[in-house]
Amino acid sequence: MIAFLAVLALANCGKAPQPPTASQPATPTPTPTQAAEPAGDADKNLNIFCWSEYIPQAIVDAFTKETGIKVSVETYASNEEMLAKLFAGGGTYDLIQPSEYVIEGLIKENMLTPIDRQAIPNMKNIAPEFTSMSFDPGNKYSIPYMAGTVGIVVNTELVQDDIKTYNDVFQEKFRKNIVVLDDAREIVSWGFESMGIPINEVSDENLEKVRPVLEKWLPLVKVFDSDSPKTALLNGDVALGVVWAGEGAILLNEDKKFKWVVPAEGAHLFVDSLAIPKSAKHVKNAELFINFILRPDISAKVSEAFPYLNPNVAARELLTPAQRNNPASFPTADQLANMQTFKDIGEQATKIDELVTSLKAQ
Amino acid sequence: MAAAAMTPSWRGPIPRKHGGERVQRWIFGAWTALVFAFLYIPILLLVAFSFNSSRLNIRWEGFSLKWYSELFGNRTLLTAFQNSLIVATATTILATLLGTIGAWMLYRYRFPFQRTIGFLIFIPMVMPEVLMGASLLAEFVHFLRMPLGYTTLIIAHTTFCFPFVLVGIQARLHGLDPFLEEAALDLGAAPAQAFRLVIVPYLMPSIISGALMSFTLSLDEYIVSVFTTGAQSQTLPLKVYGMAKVGLNPQLNALSTIFVIATIVLVLLSELLTRRKNS
Amino acid sequence: MAAGATATSLQTGAAFRRRPGFPAWLVLTPLLVWLILFVIVPTVVLIVLSLGEQKGLGTIHFTFTLKNYARAFDWTWLKVLLISVNYALLTTIICTIVGYPAAYFIGRSSERMRNILLTLVMIPFWTSFLIRTYAWITILSKEGLLNAFLVSAKIIPDPIGILYTPFASVLGLVYNYLPFMILPIYTSVERLDNALIEAAYDLGAGPLRAFSQVIIPLTQPGIVAGALLVFIPSIAMFAITNLMGGGDPPTIGDVIHKQFTSGRNQPFGAALGCLLLLIFFFSLWVTRRQRAE
Repeated sequence: MIAFLAVLALANCGKAPQPPTASQPATPTPTPTQAAEPAGDADKNLNIFCWSEYIPQAIVDAFTKETGIKVSVETYASNEEMLAKLFAGGGTYDLIQPSEYVIEGLIKENMLTPIDRQAIPNMKNIAPEFTSMSFDPGNKYSIPYMAGTVGIVVNTELVQDDIKTYNDVFQEKFRKNIVVLDDAREIVSWGFESMGIPINEVSDENLEKVRPVLEKWLPLVKVFDSDSPKTALLNGDVALGVVWAGEGAILLNEDKKFKWVVPAEGAHLFVDSLAIPKSAKHVKNAELFINFILRPDISAKVSEAFPYLNPNVAARELLTPAQRNNPASFPTADQLANMQTFKDIGEQATKIDELVTSLKAQ
Repeated sequence: MAAAAMTPSWRGPIPRKHGGERVQRWIFGAWTALVFAFLYIPILLLVAFSFNSSRLNIRWEGFSLKWYSELFGNRTLLTAFQNSLIVATATTILATLLGTIGAWMLYRYRFPFQRTIGFLIFIPMVMPEVLMGASLLAEFVHFLRMPLGYTTLIIAHTTFCFPFVLVGIQARLHGLDPFLEEAALDLGAAPAQAFRLVIVPYLMPSIISGALMSFTLSLDEYIVSVFTTGAQSQTLPLKVYGMAKVGLNPQLNALSTIFVIATIVLVLLSELLTRRKNS
Repeated sequence: MAAGATATSLQTGAAFRRRPGFPAWLVLTPLLVWLILFVIVPTVVLIVLSLGEQKGLGTIHFTFTLKNYARAFDWTWLKVLLISVNYALLTTIICTIVGYPAAYFIGRSSERMRNILLTLVMIPFWTSFLIRTYAWITILSKEGLLNAFLVSAKIIPDPIGILYTPFASVLGLVYNYLPFMILPIYTSVERLDNALIEAAYDLGAGPLRAFSQVIIPLTQPGIVAGALLVFIPSIAMFAITNLMGGGDPPTIGDVIHKQFTSGRNQPFGAALGCLLLLIFFFSLWVTRRQRAE
């Protein structure tokens, strides 16, 4: 029996992919002076380390076809997974896809290579509000890829109330009828927002202040899920959720009974960007890829697959009206103006994790 | 004569005289059927959904073969699946070898530190996967300076699979008639021969058991793989686990359906062939 | 005669074990090397990690402090550990009860059927874990198949929330670990000497007594092995409790995993893991002591 399977596997060995490319030093080509199509590295390889499913394979293939650069994609399901591998060494990645608070930390610890803006003329497509954000002033190290918020989804067939705020969601009558992200930092930030505390002032006293609020909220939650909170909502197992905007957009597209609400007390914005680690071996190829992604038609394809907030203005024009009008994907200008981004909070992350875990375990 | 020695003689003829035992067999048979139903219900569901025209597997929306055709164009998914098979097969072979030989040597001989070895074997089972992955990564990168790829992946998988094999074989060894091997040695066999011709046939059910467990464990391993894989050796779970965010692609259902059906067909075929050979 | 040999096999087996000669050492070497390289070294790495501190995004400073262990003895984490052990215990017991009859049936089947049935047991688990679990979610959800069936058959008036409860968690765990109980028990059943069973019946035992007094004790090694192979891994298995139980209450596997992600405290996770190891070894040592007496 095993023999059969072994034969099957071995039969495919002929088509097995090449063994891992030995790290060859990339001979850097001289910095191009024109903006047209900058040349890449001599070594036509690119190692991307990104969120699973976040960069559609079709786009990677199109890039390879156009430039002849072979791309290998390794994926992760959380920022910290990426960090663990990055810090442990062993993988040489040319491109990573960190979220905003991670970028801040990476810059602080000098783990990123500055990006050559000359090599990325398509940078002009990025909406001005997404350039020079607080975690990377001047976009020296990162280019925004996709952004989004966290907000409230209501199943209007099951809940007729007018939900506007976090406190509207976390009411006793919705006990065990709520899904939230399984993210301690997120949960604490909602508590902060409902109390008017700035989300980045994660001090011990503020944590003590928010504790009674969370003590009241957490037992009302039925499902903690950061990967696919839409599942619980689609199944009808819960009627309300505080979830990623992308999930919200998918729900809205799936069924008109879902409503998206940006919490009135405030919401935060997350931004996933592309960045080049210090240990990258194919910097020029990476820059070529970033420029490629920033093309309007390519970026529009990404939006098609992932209805998040696309910072690429030129791409937005290529989207269908339905996509552009999805309130979960694209918040209004006022809503955007009110949003902050997460800052790196260092060791307070541990305290947050302990607070939420202890409240969950009660 | 060797063939006759290999037919398990410890079972003896199956008694059929007792009505009580026949009733017992019917009851147990029914129970087993229920267990199989339990095991296969989600499988039937995912087979059904592989033909669902809707992308989100919540509602049935119509029959479609599009996921199958899309699957054959999805090079990355297929490559990942192939990688999983390669790694799982290599892991199974290594883990079974290590587990079998390890269990036998520990049973048969009095080695110093016997007890310690017995404890050490359990560590990969007890240690949570994220810890095993992180520590193996640190070892591969800093101590052994190995590039991450198939080799590191297989080593990591084998490490947490072989204890399962070993424990299973130890259980079987408990009931081994010690005079079995003694008899073979008396008849002039070298210890290695006695092992191969007498012990291994006796252990075969637990060897097969262990191999099946190893294969299963390795095929679906995610966390340890995250830490110990390179870019070229991405396995299926690595590709799949992030998919939940956008909804699991029904191509996966198609892939699983094909694999399940192929395996069942293979099993039945191999049985048919051995039956043909024996008759 | 066979019964006598089996009964005394432990004693004779023990005396029968030889001192290893050079060839024996040679054969054992691969296992020893593997153990040293890939079990001992990572464990040492883990212990060293647990004595360190994490700074910033991921750099570990090896300060050789015990504060991670001190923190681990807080009721928050101990409670989580207790919850996980409870789930694992429940899973093991249910797997034993559900799995034994099936393993017995397969073990006593004809040689042809045995291998087919055994492989058929495993095949469902060669599909991706996520899609299997999502299939269960589709079945158990409020708008899912089970509820639809129960409501249309008028057994219950309204759909009930089966999913995202401890019941669903245990169901998921049992489903995933059942084969790991069936296979070891099968190997014990398969080697049952028919003569023994025959003898039991001949001596007047009814099927029930033959079973409880003869068969189950004889297959005990298989049951013990199965229990180990289910109980130990299921303590740290958090993917299932997260997906089917809704992540509430948290389990030790999830907590440790989070220390490597949002908790930003790998050394603490390592300390928790080392504690798990210690607890396990202690209980193993105690049970071996008991058996020796």
